[in-house]
Amino acid sequence: MTDLRTRLVAHARTVLRIARWEVSRSAGTLDRRTAAIGLVAVLVAGGIAAGAAGGGVSLDRDLYRVGIAGDSPYYDAVDRSSALDPRPVSDPNVELVVSETHVSVVDTQTGRAAYAAFRDAVQSYNERQMAREENQSAAFPVVVDLQYRERDALVPAGSRVDGGAGGGGGGAGTGDGGGADAGTGAGSGASGAGDGAGGTSGGGPSASDAAAADDGSVDAPSLGGMAGLFGGDTSGSPASISPPFPFASLVLAFAFLVPMNFVIQAYGSSILNERINRRGELLLVAPISPGDIVAGKTLPYLLGTVGITVAIAAAVGGGVVSVAAVVPVGLLFLASTFVGAMFARSFKELTFVTVTVSVFLTTYTFVPAIFTNVTPIALISPLTLVVRDLAGESIPLGEFLFSVGPILLAAGVLFLLGVGVYREEDMFTQRPVPLKFLDALDSRISRARSVATLSALSIPFVFIAELLAIAVLFVLPVDLTVPMVLVAVAVIEELAKSLHVLAAFEKARFSRTLRSSLVLGGLSGLGFFVGEKFTAIAQLAGLQSLTLGQTAFAPSGVGIAGGTGVSALVVLGLFLAPLVLHAVTASVTAFGASRGRSAYGVALVGAIAIHLGYNLQVVNALG
Amino acid sequence: MGSPRLAIARRELGSLRKEKTIVLALAIQLFVAAFSSFLVVGLVSLYDPGAASYQVDVAVAGDEEAVEDLLRAVGSEDGLSGRPYASTSAAMTAFHEREVDAVLEASTGEDGRIRVAAVAPDTGVETTAVVTRLRDALRELERNERAERRAFLETDPLSLPPAAESSPYFGFTYTVLVPLLLFLPVFISGSLVVDSLTEEVARGTLELLRVAPVSFAAVVDGKLLAAGGLAPVQAVAWMLLLHLNGTAIESVPWLFGMVAGLSAVVVALGAAVAITSPDRRVAQLLYSIGVLLVFAGTSLLPLNPANTAARLALGTAGVGARAAVAGLVFVGVVALVGLRVVVDRVDPNELG
Repeated sequence: MTDLRTRLVAHARTVLRIARWEVSRSAGTLDRRTAAIGLVAVLVAGGIAAGAAGGGVSLDRDLYRVGIAGDSPYYDAVDRSSALDPRPVSDPNVELVVSETHVSVVDTQTGRAAYAAFRDAVQSYNERQMAREENQSAAFPVVVDLQYRERDALVPAGSRVDGGAGGGGGGAGTGDGGGADAGTGAGSGASGAGDGAGGTSGGGPSASDAAAADDGSVDAPSLGGMAGLFGGDTSGSPASISPPFPFASLVLAFAFLVPMNFVIQAYGSSILNERINRRGELLLVAPISPGDIVAGKTLPYLLGTVGITVAIAAAVGGGVVSVAAVVPVGLLFLASTFVGAMFARSFKELTFVTVTVSVFLTTYTFVPAIFTNVTPIALISPLTLVVRDLAGESIPLGEFLFSVGPILLAAGVLFLLGVGVYREEDMFTQRPVPLKFLDALDSRISRARSVATLSALSIPFVFIAELLAIAVLFVLPVDLTVPMVLVAVAVIEELAKSLHVLAAFEKARFSRTLRSSLVLGGLSGLGFFVGEKFTAIAQLAGLQSLTLGQTAFAPSGVGIAGGTGVSALVVLGLFLAPLVLHAVTASVTAFGASRGRSAYGVALVGAIAIHLGYNLQVVNALG
Repeated sequence: MGSPRLAIARRELGSLRKEKTIVLALAIQLFVAAFSSFLVVGLVSLYDPGAASYQVDVAVAGDEEAVEDLLRAVGSEDGLSGRPYASTSAAMTAFHEREVDAVLEASTGEDGRIRVAAVAPDTGVETTAVVTRLRDALRELERNERAERRAFLETDPLSLPPAAESSPYFGFTYTVLVPLLLFLPVFISGSLVVDSLTEEVARGTLELLRVAPVSFAAVVDGKLLAAGGLAPVQAVAWMLLLHLNGTAIESVPWLFGMVAGLSAVVVALGAAVAITSPDRRVAQLLYSIGVLLVFAGTSLLPLNPANTAARLALGTAGVGARAAVAGLVFVGVVALVGLRVVVDRVDPNELG
């Protein structure tokens, strides 16, 4: 016991020492002059950004040219619109001519877009004119009070698994409640409008705001106030309604993830620096384990990420849950950058690797979070937890684990892979990234049993990849997505079961015989099967209630046992069927891998086909 | 440009090709473009009023007279259909049972205004679609009511021309997507120059210059040529791709000149940063901030690059935009000359 403790303390000391060294060395590269230049540049950029936000940078300034006479009643409307550029009627180079009696449009896409912009401009102009009217109740004869109401257990149309008939009675009950609310809402609207008649109405200024917003460049929903962001209720004239910006997660994603990009830039450089000119050799020959070196070098950057996350969470009003949800993402950023820096041959390659990492992870955290209110899918992304935390909702532990677990596991496995190649023969050699990747996989294989372990370890990545596929395909109609998800699942799983086997054969770790392929394939299938049982976590978050979730995870045999009227033998058979499938397909690819890379490619296609056939059978049988 | 410069440029491009990074770079750009289009075009057009696939059903209840007006306004809107309900509670029941997507309850207030209590589902993207259409219908109602109250107004509102079919993301394609595709390669090119120079310093290969018959200036020129030349080539490729996709791009030569000028500015910035602080961590950070500065700074100009590119691509640019391109090319040349002055005063062996 004491022995273990002294060893732990020794490890911690080493890690801390390396971390201190990393910090002091990084601080050394940044002299005072560059720091000052950087600071000034940041301040100037911030100032410009603030100025731009205040002054309004218009991307669409003078996009369309309009021929219009100076005394036309429409001239002011055109002149005030940023997208329209008024020209004299005689100018032949225009998209639109506004004469006294009619509007003529060039018959092109540009012309039609110009016409739509003109129509918007007239509408905003009218709103502004009306805001100046004495008689506000005549100028704004309609007052709208908009509320957002949740409907029970939302499942997107068409993907409902169980009939929603049970909800009928409850629906009527809540319907009454909602109606009463709507009534009081109208009442408060009336009292608001009462003083509106006095001249300066509540609707007036907001109407002109909305009119100004209408001039916005992109025809996407405009980013309203923070209230609109999170679906707050609004009231006023119809023009003042701003549709809620559904991308609250976009703002959050940028706030949390952009600083991480700077951190991983520096971190990647630091790791790759060790590999240039054999600089890391001194540390490698020291009596320190590679794990300690990597932990020490990562610690300062991890602390930096945590610090930044805490600061941003405090700024947007998030609590402990927000920080706990975002830090794993930061860890995954660091882990993939670490692996990228261990594989990259040059700074240039590293730049592309880091950009790829950040684009992929941003997509992964961002796309599912768009559907924050479509519960199960959105939980894939930890940002959903942040959005909910900001809204003051409580988050069950199961949902938290579902969201954060795969990311933490994936980060851990990536660090494990990277540390495996943190050794002389890999650090100081130049090989293409895919080969380095195979090397890293191979470094984790010492005997046949390791193949099973690696298959099991690939589960978090399989999980992440499949969830991302679901999230991206989610918006398409169900008829189309189900087969596409099945194909994606087959491809991802077959790759995960076979790549490390290929690596082992390429490194001649096992004899290239039929027997060893069968053994390795069986073990890989077994490892994957055991790991896959952990997808039972998916049930915790209720992903199974979605057709897509069932499509992706039903073939794995999760949740089948609950079926009624099935004998124990059949249940056992169904439970073990995926094991047989994984063993068979993994053996096919293992056999291909033993014959070389092109044979592996052919075998992989075959295995995917078998897997797909099996999945289709199961989905049809269950459906 | 002598032959050693071209040789170095060739070598730079060769290393890019060997590492397949340029393939990765193109893939990333394609992904970013597809992703941003997916965000805006996909999600917006999914619920595009013109698309018949998505119909919003609205339950209308309340005062008889107001309901009639409201139903007329709702009916005039594409993709919206109104259904009268006897009472608000019946309408809300229908809402919760998903028979309708929204509820409008109309009543006439004391001052003669129509009060509409609108209830929309709280479901993210769908909400946006529903609310956008409700707003259009309610504005139509407002216009009709306003016309009836004309006598009480001092100014007559301008009559609104009839709505016409127009792609809702046409503007987005030109004001966001085209500038994004044109300027992203420029940013990456500058980053390449930073990487390339800092790596030479880190590996100590610049020392070899002492015995090689190549000057430091020639090395920098070669790297600038390779990286800076890539951006305009990629820009032309994107414009071609957009053209094949049915997005007409006008004045391609001008856009090419614009990207060339901008990439001259940005690669010169990258090289200057890499020479003044040759540690990659610091250099990349400073470069990113510098590029932000360039883009933020130019966005304040009346003829900012993104807007100029959009107008040139649309074919609606006037003399001003062309003058801006010429000015940008001039600034690019000045930046390159300025960089040469810096390079000539630096001893490559004292870097790092």
